[in-house]
Amino acid sequence: MGGFVYLSVRHEILTDFDARIIEETDALRRTFAEEGRDGLAATLAARGSIGGALLYGLEAPDRKRLAGDLVAPVSSGWTELKEDENDEPPEGTAAEIIRALVTRLPDGSILIVGDERRRANEALRGVLSAFGWAIGATIILGLAGGLWLSRQFLRRVDAMRLAAQAIMAGDWSRRIPLTPIDDDLSALARTFNRLFARIEKLLLANKHISADIAHDLRKPLASVLRRLEGARAQGADLEAVRSAVKAAIAEIENLLETFNALLRIAQVEAGARRAGFRPRDLAEIAREVVEAFQPAAEDEGKTLALRLDEPLPISGDKELLAQMIANMIDNALRHAPKGVRVEVAGERMPGGVRLSVADDGPGVDSRELKVIFERFYRADAARSTPGSGLGLNLVAAIADLHGLECSASDNRPGLRVTLTTADSSE
Amino acid sequence: MKTLIIEDDEEVAAFVAAGLRERGHEAAIVANGRDGVQRASAEQFDAIILDRMLPEFDGLTVVALLRAEGVATPVLFLTNLSGIDDRVDGLEAGGDDYLVKPFAFEELMARLIALARRPMLGGASPTVLSAGDLEMDLVARTVRRGGEEIDLQPREFRLLEFLLRNEERLVTRKMLLEHVWEFLFDPQTNIVETHISRLRTKIDRGRAASLIHTIRGAGYLLRVLNPGL
Repeated sequence: MGGFVYLSVRHEILTDFDARIIEETDALRRTFAEEGRDGLAATLAARGSIGGALLYGLEAPDRKRLAGDLVAPVSSGWTELKEDENDEPPEGTAAEIIRALVTRLPDGSILIVGDERRRANEALRGVLSAFGWAIGATIILGLAGGLWLSRQFLRRVDAMRLAAQAIMAGDWSRRIPLTPIDDDLSALARTFNRLFARIEKLLLANKHISADIAHDLRKPLASVLRRLEGARAQGADLEAVRSAVKAAIAEIENLLETFNALLRIAQVEAGARRAGFRPRDLAEIAREVVEAFQPAAEDEGKTLALRLDEPLPISGDKELLAQMIANMIDNALRHAPKGVRVEVAGERMPGGVRLSVADDGPGVDSRELKVIFERFYRADAARSTPGSGLGLNLVAAIADLHGLECSASDNRPGLRVTLTTADSSE
Repeated sequence: MKTLIIEDDEEVAAFVAAGLRERGHEAAIVANGRDGVQRASAEQFDAIILDRMLPEFDGLTVVALLRAEGVATPVLFLTNLSGIDDRVDGLEAGGDDYLVKPFAFEELMARLIALARRPMLGGASPTVLSAGDLEMDLVARTVRRGGEEIDLQPREFRLLEFLLRNEERLVTRKMLLEHVWEFLFDPQTNIVETHISRLRTKIDRGRAASLIHTIRGAGYLLRVLNPGL
C-alpha cells in the first residue's frame, strides 16, 4: 500500500517535472515565431537572471552559443546533461544532473530547456518524508487511541464486574455506573441495572414481609394469648371459658385470613400465575364484579357506577383480575361513608387500557397517596374499620403481574386509584 | 354416607373421621396414594377426601388412576395453602371439588354432602327444578311460585338454581361465591348476604312459608318447611 502510494507520487512528480519543461519549450517556440532568434535570445537572457527558473541554452545552427548556459548534445529530444561541464563543481559536491529537452527550431538553431534533476528528487523526498511522518503519526496515534479505548472498555467491564461482585456480597442497592457513551456496552449496563433493581425489589419485598408479619400479627396473637390465659384464670366458670375460646377462634380465623392474603400476594408476586394468562376482556370482568357489588352498595346507601369502553383487551388471569377489581371496590366502599358515589371507569388507550376506581369520600392525605399500596398500610382514619391492610397491596401485586402501573391520586374530593398499562417500550 | 379419607397427616385424618362418625357417617382412612387407589377401586364409597401431597402417588395421580379405572366416586381435594393454581390442576385431573386447609369442618361437610348426592355424570339433567310450589324452568329461564311468575336478575337466577340443586343441603358462602360468581376469594363486602336477601324478598314475598333459610355461622339452606301447605 505504502509502496504503491510512493510509486504513484513519484510518477506524478516526474510527469509534472517533464510537463513544466515541455510547456516552457512550447512558450519559447512561440516567442521565436513572433520575435525571431534575437528576440528569443533576449527573452532567455532575461529568464536566466531570475532565481529558481529553469535552465536554458540557445545555439545557432553553427553551434555558436547565443544565450543560456546549457550546451546541446548532438541529437534532439530528451536527454540528460552534466551541469556546466566547463565549470568545476564546488568541492565535495557531485555534478548536478540536468534533464533537458532539446528542440531544433525552424531556422536550424537549437533550443535547450532543462531543469536540475535534484529538484524533482527534493520534491519527492519532501513528499516522502511528509508521508513517513503521517504514517508514523497514524501508527502512534492509532496505538495510543486503541490502547486508550481498550483500557476505557476494560475499565467499564471492570465496573460491571465490581458492581456484580458488590451485589453478590449483599450490597443490593449497588448499580453499574453509566457513562455518557451510548453504545452496546451501555445498553448492556442498563439492562443489568434493571435486572439488579428487580432483584432488589423482590428481596426487599421478602424482607418486608417478615418484618410486617412480625409487627402486625403480634398484636392479635398477644390478644389470643391474653384471652386464653384469662380463661384459665377464671377456673371453673364454663361460660367464661367458652366465650374466651370463641373469641380466640374468631381472632385466629382473622389471622388465617391475613396469612392467606399474604401468601396469595407472595404467590402473585412470584409470577407463577403467568402461565395461565389468556386474552381477556377487562370490561367484561369489571362489569361482573360491579354487578356483584351493586346490591350491597345500594343497601348501604352508596352508589356504584360503571363507565366502560368495550372491549378492554388484556392478557391475564381472570380470577386474579376479578379479585383485583373487587379489592379496589371493596376499599372504596368500606372507607367511605353513606351517600358516597364510587365510579369504576375503564378506557382503551393507545397501547393498552386504563382502569380506575374513584370515590368522592374523605380520601387519603396527599402525603400518604404514595404508600397506600404498601403492605399493611392503613390510613389513620381507617384503623377503626375492619380490614387487614392488604387489599390494595394485593391489587398492586396483581396489577404488576399484568403489566399495569398503579397510582393513587386526589379525586377532589376522595380517592382515585388508577391502573394503567405500563409503557412496554421501557 | 361412606367416605374414604386418603391423607398422610394423621391428625387431620383423625379429625375429619371423628367429625364424620359423630354425624353418623362411615369413614375409612388410608395414609398413602397407592393404598388409596386400591381401596377406592375395591370398595364402594360415596365420596373420597383426597390430600394433594401424599407418599407413593400424589393426589393428582390418584384421581387420574381412579378415573382411568372407571371409578366415578366424587373426589374432594384437600390442599395446603401453597399454590393457587392447585385448584385448577385438581379439577382438571378429575377432582370434583376443592377445599383449602385449614378449613372449618362445617365447610367440608357441606361440600361432601353436595358431592355425594350429585347425580352421576351422563344422566339426563332435568330442565325443570322445583321445591314445594317453587318451579324453575332452566330452558325458558323463568321462575314461578304458586303459578305466579317471579322476575329475577340473571345472577339471582343462578343463585336460586344452585340452591335448588342443593335442596335440603347446607351451602356455604364460599360455595356460593365459587359457583354463582366464580370468585375464588371472599370480598369484604357482603355480596352474598345482600343477594340472598334480595332473592328471598322476591320469592318469599307474601308467602307464609319461607324457602331460603340462614344457618347462622355456616351458610344457607333451601328447604320446604311445610310441604303439605
